[in-house]
Amino acid sequence: MRVLPRDRRPALPRAAATASVTLALLGGAVACAGPQDDGSGGGDGKPAEGGTLTVLNSDAQSDFDPARLYTSGGGNVPSLVFRTLTTRNRADGAKGTEVVPDLATGLGKPSEGAKVWTYELKPGLKYEDGSPITSADVKYGVERSFAAELSGGPPYLRDWLIGGDRYEGPFGKGKKELDSIETPDDRTIVFRLKKGVGDFPYVATQTQFAPVPKAKDTGTDYEKHPLSSGPYRVVKNTNDGERLQLARNKHWSAKTDSERKAYPDTVDVRSGLDPAVINQRLSTSSSADAKAVTTDTNLGPAELARVGSDKELKERVGVGHFGYTNYLAFNPDVKPFDDPAVRKAVAYAIDRASVVNAVGGSSLAEPATTFLPNQKAFGYTPYDHFPAGRGGDPDKAREVLAKAGHRNGITLTLTHSTEDGETGPKIAAAVQQSLKKAGIRVRLEGLENNAYDEKRWDAEDAPGLYLSRWGADWPAGYPFLAPIFDGRQIVANGANFNHAKLDDPAVNKEFDDVQQLTDLDAAAKRWGALDSRIGEQALSVPLFHPVYQRLVGKDVKNVVISDWTGVLDVSQVAVR
Amino acid sequence: MAVRQETAVRDSVTPLGATGPAPGPGGVWRRLRTRPAALASGGVLAVLVAAALAAPLLTALAGQDPYAYHGDLVDSARGGAPHGAFGGASGAHWLGVEPGTGRDLFALLLHGARVSLLVAAGATLLQVVVGLAVGLTAALGGRWADRLLSRVTDVMVALPMLVLAIALTTVVPGDFPRPLLLVLVMGLLGWGGVSRVVRARTMALRGLDFVAAARLGGSGRLRVARRELLPSLAAPVLTYAAILLPSNIVLEASLSFLGIGVKPPTPSWGQLLSTATTWYRADPAYVLLPSGLLFVTVLAFTVLGDAVRAALDPREASRLRVGTRGERAERPLEGGESVHVGTRLAGSGAKSADTGTRLPRTGAESPVPHEEKAP
Repeated sequence: MRVLPRDRRPALPRAAATASVTLALLGGAVACAGPQDDGSGGGDGKPAEGGTLTVLNSDAQSDFDPARLYTSGGGNVPSLVFRTLTTRNRADGAKGTEVVPDLATGLGKPSEGAKVWTYELKPGLKYEDGSPITSADVKYGVERSFAAELSGGPPYLRDWLIGGDRYEGPFGKGKKELDSIETPDDRTIVFRLKKGVGDFPYVATQTQFAPVPKAKDTGTDYEKHPLSSGPYRVVKNTNDGERLQLARNKHWSAKTDSERKAYPDTVDVRSGLDPAVINQRLSTSSSADAKAVTTDTNLGPAELARVGSDKELKERVGVGHFGYTNYLAFNPDVKPFDDPAVRKAVAYAIDRASVVNAVGGSSLAEPATTFLPNQKAFGYTPYDHFPAGRGGDPDKAREVLAKAGHRNGITLTLTHSTEDGETGPKIAAAVQQSLKKAGIRVRLEGLENNAYDEKRWDAEDAPGLYLSRWGADWPAGYPFLAPIFDGRQIVANGANFNHAKLDDPAVNKEFDDVQQLTDLDAAAKRWGALDSRIGEQALSVPLFHPVYQRLVGKDVKNVVISDWTGVLDVSQVAVR
Repeated sequence: MAVRQETAVRDSVTPLGATGPAPGPGGVWRRLRTRPAALASGGVLAVLVAAALAAPLLTALAGQDPYAYHGDLVDSARGGAPHGAFGGASGAHWLGVEPGTGRDLFALLLHGARVSLLVAAGATLLQVVVGLAVGLTAALGGRWADRLLSRVTDVMVALPMLVLAIALTTVVPGDFPRPLLLVLVMGLLGWGGVSRVVRARTMALRGLDFVAAARLGGSGRLRVARRELLPSLAAPVLTYAAILLPSNIVLEASLSFLGIGVKPPTPSWGQLLSTATTWYRADPAYVLLPSGLLFVTVLAFTVLGDAVRAALDPREASRLRVGTRGERAERPLEGGESVHVGTRLAGSGAKSADTGTRLPRTGAESPVPHEEKAP
């Protein structure tokens, strides 16, 4: 969590310029048709094999090396090619937040207080060339993600694996192998961690846990033709991921893979398209577009208004929830935000209804009062310490301010990105409007998107008040709360996500304690309680959780949307 | 290309001998008055400018505020589309409300007009001032000053303005006032055309008798420029400014449309259009109002600019009065050197018709002032 100034999973994918990281994340994102359960985009009968599925995207799949992809749950398009030790459950809604075995026979056997995780591979696993997948290949896949030339993946393994902080990958001059990953035989792999991590099965869904045979590794060129372990192989990768053509992998067998359905014969991923064009093509659904989906483009407010009055279109829209929170971040190092009363006044005054409208209305965002996303898997525990109702409570805010000695109101500066989106000027203007009613005058400071990202994660010089957002690397409390509120995650220079510089020994200890729990339900409850406890300090004002509204072509069937990704799963889609 | 144009302009202008001092304001008004299109567009613009100036008053009369959100007037579940027909138009909100925010569209358009017109007027003024200064210096300074400034002008004309404006507006710190920034960027990038016209015209003027007389009378260069040349340059510069103004309005709109102009919540037409484009099917009123207003304004400015050009152009006047010898004979005699100019004009028209065919046509950025075209 420390390395890159990234923004987790931008729901507005065009804002993904921060790092290629985010693109990979969105490789996991698609839409769905119909209601939450088993919506089908039209056509009738059972889903059948065959045909070509087209994926229309705005962001190119510019990293397609399993070491470089930064995904949640293995990504969407990437997971068609890469199998991992575990994977996300391909089911609708909350069931979809569960982690299930993939290459491994189980979720992993923890021992020594979850410091050691042992996995057994299923028998009969093969690559696209028919050669067997071994545990050594999984080890090598993890090892190469430590190489500087293949950077971009998530930081967790570097923090957790013994010796991970000093290991430089298999290509460098130093040690070639990482001793904390053991492969006693061809089907067994053991990970030794510095501390207990109950969430390890979630992390083992990431593409770094995909097998890479050492003999076939071509370093930075590997992404052009990675050796497939999944149902599809890469036929052609044009223009650095702008177009990705996938065809069936003959050696993949549904017998060893109960998660991926792989109905279409070929998958054609086309990117670099304008979001408006994508939605227009999907709604028109002529020729190949009828069998198309998108993994990264939401419906805009105006398109939703249109869909609202068109029954046929409405049936083709899928709604999904991905763990994400947009919030106002305070930096107490900057006056007057060192005063809790000022922070609380802002929390009381905020008009979430107009903020939600600025995002595009209640179909695209749900008001948030908790930092954790409103899903059980994260340990969501409802709280509203500074009740502002729908439209804000300016009177209460004034009262709090007056008590703190600001009788004539107060003037604040709100920093935001100038790029239209969830940290953009429209949201900032809505915040400005709502605080005005409480006598809080807000001056807007808009920064160009890259400058804004640099500034808000700046350890030294972060603004006092800014729009920010955080997404989940996996559906659990730890990756959501730790980077933001764990005092040991504060960095002196580089990207610091702990905006409030909170370094509370009791909170830190709770992070350590809960992280070790392998009972994920028990852990979730404690994450929820911790969130509520931190929330009392008003270090941030949660604004909203985005909602995904995605359109699919009219011939698309078997739409499955999990709460893990919030978008249609390409491995489940059928076009016949 | 730019260099060739420059010589072409010089060649074509110098032998023309130019037209001398412009007709007085009274004459211009008399000629303008005879053109219904000019009067109509002038009227439209007067109303618009008055409305923009009185925007706070008018919006207060309507009981509205361009910054106040009305969440209850939009349908949150339908992407924030306004409730009701015609973009939510009602007794309180005459032109409806903005989707998403529910801000009053009438108030937004009026306040947007302030920003759009102010930025365009400011930029035009700056373009004219800089263009005049550079053009005069080039024409009256030494050979080297002329060469240097003419090449700089060529570069300014050749530069793709929009691209450069985008680059400049993005590197400037976010807390710099945007309208001022736009004025500066547009003004300092777009003076090339004015400078060329001024230089060419000055070159032509300085050889004329009245200028020579002033110099012989002991006037210095500055004094000649101020007393003798500037009044004669008024006509072409005014005409050019009239063409620049609408294009500046469009440029401001384009920059704001691209999201690098005026920032929310400050309304401007371009900015309204930029958010409106996606709404063309769901809420057509929201798109039609700002785009219609922009269209009408630019059209009115262009028509008026054309009329002013014609009214200021003595040749145009002469053409209008072909056959009315009596009237024509009188007027040129009023001024001292007008006779001289008048006689030259007959020939100059023909010549410019010849040279006109040699002029490379480069579309909108053509530095050739309208007066030089064949009647």
